[in-house]
Amino acid sequence: MFEDVKMPEGMSPQMLEHLMYPKNYGKLDDADGVGVALDEKTGEYVIFYTKLKNDIIEDVRFATNGCQDTVVIGSMYTEMIKGNNTEYAQKAIAKMHDKLGNLSPQQQICADIVFTAFIASLKNYENRQNGHDEELHALKMKESCEVKEDDSKGEENDK
Amino acid sequence: MTSKTYQKRHELWLSILFASFAIEDEAIKSRLYDFSQIAFRHMKWIGTALLESGSDYNYDREMQLLKRESNFEILQALKDEVKAFTSEYDDSVLMQRVKTDDDYLLEYLSQLLSDAKNDAKVTAFSMERKWDDLAQEQIDALTLFLFEESYKEYELILVYAYMQARTDNALHFSVFQDLVDESHFHLKSFGNMMARLGILALPRELHPMTYIVKDLKKFIVDGIAEEEAAKEMCKELSDAIKDEKLSKFFDFINYQESFHIHLMEKLL
Repeated sequence: MFEDVKMPEGMSPQMLEHLMYPKNYGKLDDADGVGVALDEKTGEYVIFYTKLKNDIIEDVRFATNGCQDTVVIGSMYTEMIKGNNTEYAQKAIAKMHDKLGNLSPQQQICADIVFTAFIASLKNYENRQNGHDEELHALKMKESCEVKEDDSKGEENDK
Repeated sequence: MTSKTYQKRHELWLSILFASFAIEDEAIKSRLYDFSQIAFRHMKWIGTALLESGSDYNYDREMQLLKRESNFEILQALKDEVKAFTSEYDDSVLMQRVKTDDDYLLEYLSQLLSDAKNDAKVTAFSMERKWDDLAQEQIDALTLFLFEESYKEYELILVYAYMQARTDNALHFSVFQDLVDESHFHLKSFGNMMARLGILALPRELHPMTYIVKDLKKFIVDGIAEEEAAKEMCKELSDAIKDEKLSKFFDFINYQESFHIHLMEKLL
């Protein structure tokens, strides 16, 4: 089990740094988009705050009650997308999958909950732009972090 | 007294607690840990006073745990932080109690700082990750476990304290207190182990979505599942780690988690 929860590159100094000092962690009071991805089965969530100027992600924060894999992936992903545009951020999801290598199914779900929360924050931004009074946009995860190791990764559904 | 007072005391509790983890000298470590527990009680009483006056508080923090290299750097920073709290004192019985406790702590810190024998190199942030004869993969497993569980214990302390401050149910109040006390011990154990490994770090800040519990039953059911998972992790870690003392420690924690489940079931 413990080999499975290790990141593919092992316990690198880079990963240790993200564990000890997660980047972009917390709340963002003046966010333009706030998104939540929720695993209803376990109660695990990621909340993502995105501040945009035109199409550029000026600032970003995330918070979670989830596991350390979720924290490390959130920390790495937010570092990747900060200062870039939203198209880059969406492509970065695929790049992250490459960077993280062969994740276990459980880790895939940790990664997906982070990416889903980001997508939800963009949806919230879009809804606000269209005049909706939406505090945050929530997406429920179809697959739970509780899945057995041989289960496949899931999709996300709108709430 | 405002929510900012609460936040500063929360930060001070953590600063004293993590100073106790970082410093190796057993006498200083133990004394600082006692002071941290007093600071936690201050925080709890300030929270109660705020609620009684119709105000509220949250678990926001604006602090970092800097990589300090010597006991004196840690102790001096702690002294500065205690002094900075002075602006929060008022004439209430509670804040006068806090003030006299802080004065005593300041005196203790000054005494320590006046004797060079109390200074020493701090390795709690070195990231070296050495532990007797443990193989690297066992240290990796231990590292992940400690990050996971130190956050979880911090989360449980704050979530149960938050619910305890808001319940009128005597049984719930008592169970929450037991669970908070138990998590203090676990956080202390794991924090000291993290310092020994050179990976001491603050647990991440709690978001309101984590500590404002709208459905107690669901929270407890999920919490029991988490305790079961923690038990399993302890058992696997105990089996995987070829160190008799550590292995016995994780068995001991495992049995404690079983009793936590029993306590939590009383809340259902």
